[in-house]
Amino acid sequence: MSLSQALSISLSGLRATQAGLSLVAGNVANAQTPGYVRKTLGQETSVAGGIGGGVRIAAINRVIDEFLQRQLRVESSGGSYTELRANFYQRLQQVYGQPGSDSAFETVFNNFTNAVQSLTTSPESGAARSIVLTSGQVLAQYLNGMTADIQALRGDAEKGIADAVENANSAMQAIATINAQIAHAPPGDAATAMLKDQRDLYVDQLASLMDIRVVTGDRGEYNVFTNSGVQLVGSQAAQLSFEPQGTVTPATLWSADPSQSNVGTLKLVAGNGSTIDLIASKTIRSGQIAAYIEMRDEILVEAQNQLDAMAAAMAQALSSETTTGTATSVGLQAGYEIDTAGLLSGNAIHLTYTDNQTNQQRRITIMRVDDPGALPLDNTATLDPNDEVIGIDFSGGLAAVASELNARFNGAVLFDNPGGTTLRVLDDGPAGRSDIGALSMTRTVTGLAEGGNALAFFTDATSPYSGYFTSTGSQSMGFAGRISVNAALLGDPSKLVKFNTGTASGDPQRPEFIYQQLTGTPFNFAPNSGMGTAASPYTADLTTFMRQVLSLQGEAAANADSLSQGQGVVVNALKQRLADESGVNVDQEMAYLISLQTAYGANARVMAVVRDLIDTLLRM
Amino acid sequence: MIVNNAGTNSALSVQTLIDMRNQLVDLQRQLGTGKKATSYAGLGLDRGLTVGLRAHLSAMAGYSQTISEVGVRLDLAGTALSQLDSIGRDAKSTVMKSQFALGSGNQTLDQRTAYLQFDQMLSVLNTSTGGRHLFAGRNVDQPAVATADHIMNGEGTRAGLKQIIAERRLADLGTSGLGRLAVSAPSTTSVQLDEDASPFGFKLSGAVSGLTGSTVSGPAGSPASLSVDLGPTNPAPGETVRFTFAMPDGTSQDLTLTATNSATPAANEFTIGVISDVTAANLQTALTQALGRLAATSLTAASAVAAAGNFFNTDASNPPQRVDGPPFDSATGLVDGTAANTVSWYTGESGADGARTTAIARVDQSLTLSYGVRANEEGLRMAVQSIAVFAATTFSATDPNAEASYISLKQRVTAQLEGLPGKQKITDIEGDIAAVHNALQTAESRHLQTKGTLAQLLQDVEGAPTEEVAAKILALQTNLQATLQTTAMLLRTNLLEYI
Repeated sequence: MSLSQALSISLSGLRATQAGLSLVAGNVANAQTPGYVRKTLGQETSVAGGIGGGVRIAAINRVIDEFLQRQLRVESSGGSYTELRANFYQRLQQVYGQPGSDSAFETVFNNFTNAVQSLTTSPESGAARSIVLTSGQVLAQYLNGMTADIQALRGDAEKGIADAVENANSAMQAIATINAQIAHAPPGDAATAMLKDQRDLYVDQLASLMDIRVVTGDRGEYNVFTNSGVQLVGSQAAQLSFEPQGTVTPATLWSADPSQSNVGTLKLVAGNGSTIDLIASKTIRSGQIAAYIEMRDEILVEAQNQLDAMAAAMAQALSSETTTGTATSVGLQAGYEIDTAGLLSGNAIHLTYTDNQTNQQRRITIMRVDDPGALPLDNTATLDPNDEVIGIDFSGGLAAVASELNARFNGAVLFDNPGGTTLRVLDDGPAGRSDIGALSMTRTVTGLAEGGNALAFFTDATSPYSGYFTSTGSQSMGFAGRISVNAALLGDPSKLVKFNTGTASGDPQRPEFIYQQLTGTPFNFAPNSGMGTAASPYTADLTTFMRQVLSLQGEAAANADSLSQGQGVVVNALKQRLADESGVNVDQEMAYLISLQTAYGANARVMAVVRDLIDTLLRM
Repeated sequence: MIVNNAGTNSALSVQTLIDMRNQLVDLQRQLGTGKKATSYAGLGLDRGLTVGLRAHLSAMAGYSQTISEVGVRLDLAGTALSQLDSIGRDAKSTVMKSQFALGSGNQTLDQRTAYLQFDQMLSVLNTSTGGRHLFAGRNVDQPAVATADHIMNGEGTRAGLKQIIAERRLADLGTSGLGRLAVSAPSTTSVQLDEDASPFGFKLSGAVSGLTGSTVSGPAGSPASLSVDLGPTNPAPGETVRFTFAMPDGTSQDLTLTATNSATPAANEFTIGVISDVTAANLQTALTQALGRLAATSLTAASAVAAAGNFFNTDASNPPQRVDGPPFDSATGLVDGTAANTVSWYTGESGADGARTTAIARVDQSLTLSYGVRANEEGLRMAVQSIAVFAATTFSATDPNAEASYISLKQRVTAQLEGLPGKQKITDIEGDIAAVHNALQTAESRHLQTKGTLAQLLQDVEGAPTEEVAAKILALQTNLQATLQTTAMLLRTNLLEYI
């Protein structure tokens, strides 16, 4: 042990204190920087030749609990998922209006039914008739407006995905770049610690967009995977791609089949060039992107389906007319015949017959289909779960239809076209394999005074609504956006009462029919509205269906809100714990500063004493 | 490029402050609007219930409006019907006490009064409110009945009541004035009456002969004929033979001929001759004269009443009936009148269904009241018809049978105004309308109670009670102030202040 050794040791002490001071300065300066982790000095005794002496800066340590950090990432991606969902649900609630206000959906519908009820009291009153038409128009326009709002929300979700994908890509790229830098930098370096802080920040940003898992490699690089195991960042960053659709309408829906999908789909282009469709493989389950996708493809689509179902039920309630066939027989064959004039695409002929061989009653629905691309029709094409649906193209004439049906039924039931537009259904006579039970036809009335109560009150823009099917889907898709009051009826309000030539102006029959259909008659609703199933469809009258829709949406919004709040509490608690541990505590830094100051002074004092001793030695 | 906000650490501690502030703002909104939430999400589990309640309340508002509108109509209809009833009763007492004293226009004063009453009745039947005629069935925008002048005197080429009565009179009396009967003697001792093949005039119901040795045969055959055979013996004086005829208005009339020894028989008497042949001849003569007189009196009155029935008893499937002619006195049947040749007294809607169903009022979800009236309902029609026929007929001062005819007409009209048992009267219609009015008022009071209950229920679910919200605001205010103070204290306390 010599004086010069003491000098060099206190010099190392000075250097260590200086490093500590700069670290304190760095901590205090970055006290409010988001994502900054408190750094401490790792000092150890330097060993030379087996003898200890002096101090060496071993490393700049980041004080962070990795487990806590991992947990926080998981919860914060859940947090941003629930928050975005709750946000969208709140906006969806605004679509239905404030409960009880004059502009709420239910108020508009109630006004319409009340106007019809007033019409039954005074059918001859011109004022009552025009009020019915006006409130009907308001209702139709309200449905149009709601559709536009819901589709605007979907458009926002689409844009949101595009933005999120851009952010995710830049974050992943940054992580990969820092990975490379850290791999080449010496560990324990101050610069490395700062890089790690930055990298954590990017990973947190990515975690808010999608659920991820981070695995630290042996050279300190972060390998980022999605929770379902797809690698996002390794030595290179994968690229997410998304082509947003400019205009989003009820018909632009996502489909796993890329030739049928009209909205953008999220693809992951891996480093080796392969692409994975992330929506189809349900890879992303949490975070903002998952929330946007769920909104765009499921929740808002279901809300639109509910409106479409309501609009379709309203239109068909007032314009459907069912006629029954007349019994007829040819020789020993008995059956029914019916006049199919006026059968539109989407209208159907209902046949009930008993198959004597199995003793079962079978119900057949023969639906007219004008677009051959829609054939064959599925049994779910009608909402009746107990029928078999046969879609037939009527363009070849009724005789061709009859022969096509005969081919299908194989002689058990015989169809023919005795003339004009009459369809005749007969059993097979003496062979007795079948007995015809009933034959009826439900068609959409297109005029206003065809002699029955039904009238085309609501139309699909300028054409009638008959619920037809095409290769792209059903007419009901997006119908709420196109429903309007029949222009011919607006021009001639007396048709609200006069259902035939010679109907008296005070005849309440048709207004009574309209009122009964709107408030009393139950209808089946499609299961894609979120209620009922294909096997047991939801049956209710229009008011009850509307009530159910509002109830379900309100419940979902309230649930989303409480979920978001709960998740927010968890995330905040974790953030608080992380901040407590890894955040800069100014008091602590100040206390450390004081001890560093003292240490510096002490080391300097030692150096001064050694200098004095050397001076004393030299003056000898 | 995501930009994070600085100050995240301290923001965690003020997050609670922000939450509390938002809560305070929401409570203020609740206090101001009185409503718990601005969207269905905030209403809680009962949100579906509120939708149903609001729909129910809105429907009830509609029913209340209907009730008040229909109430006005029923009031008016009830007033009109009681007016009609009182006119009918006045007319009946006038007709009953009427004396035959011809004035101007070949009618009595009472007949002219009856015309005014008829006019009054028609204008009451045309009562309308708010452009809606109450007695026109479904054709509420048209008057229910035509004017008195048109009905009585016709309009242009269209025949009125007077013309119908005149035509029918000719048809019923026949060319011979004997009421379409032919008197003949098939054998020397018998007298025969033959109907003719038409619906007009006298129809043979039967005969009862008290003449000794006589036999009555018939009525038989088609067209019917009836004969009284005196036989070889002469009747004794005072014995009678009574013929019964069916009249065109559905009543029946007797004609009794008495045998007498006097050579100058009085009316309705016949002289007993030396032998029954002579008696039979005398009987035939007396019968012919009596028939002529009866035709000029009772048959004329009955014919007028029947003609009024032909004109007024119409509906959608039964047009007015006209005598097929000219010539009318040999007409063989009735034909349907058309809109071009006959005035239609009822211009409202007539259909096969009940008159009440022509106007309905929906006063509750499953309660629909029917209150329509057609002016051609039986009770109203009979009153109008009876007064009309009394006002339409004319008599000649030089006609010896005029007074008897007048009296016969008077009796028939009085009987019709009295009303026959089992037939609808005006008071029946009044009763129906009053019953509906009652039901209306019951429904209104029921709605009032239900509305109160439902509104209270709705308020409980979606309303924000002022006291509760105010208490919450006070509590929150206290918490907020405490938190603000302690947060400020904590943030200020650090080592820097003391170094």
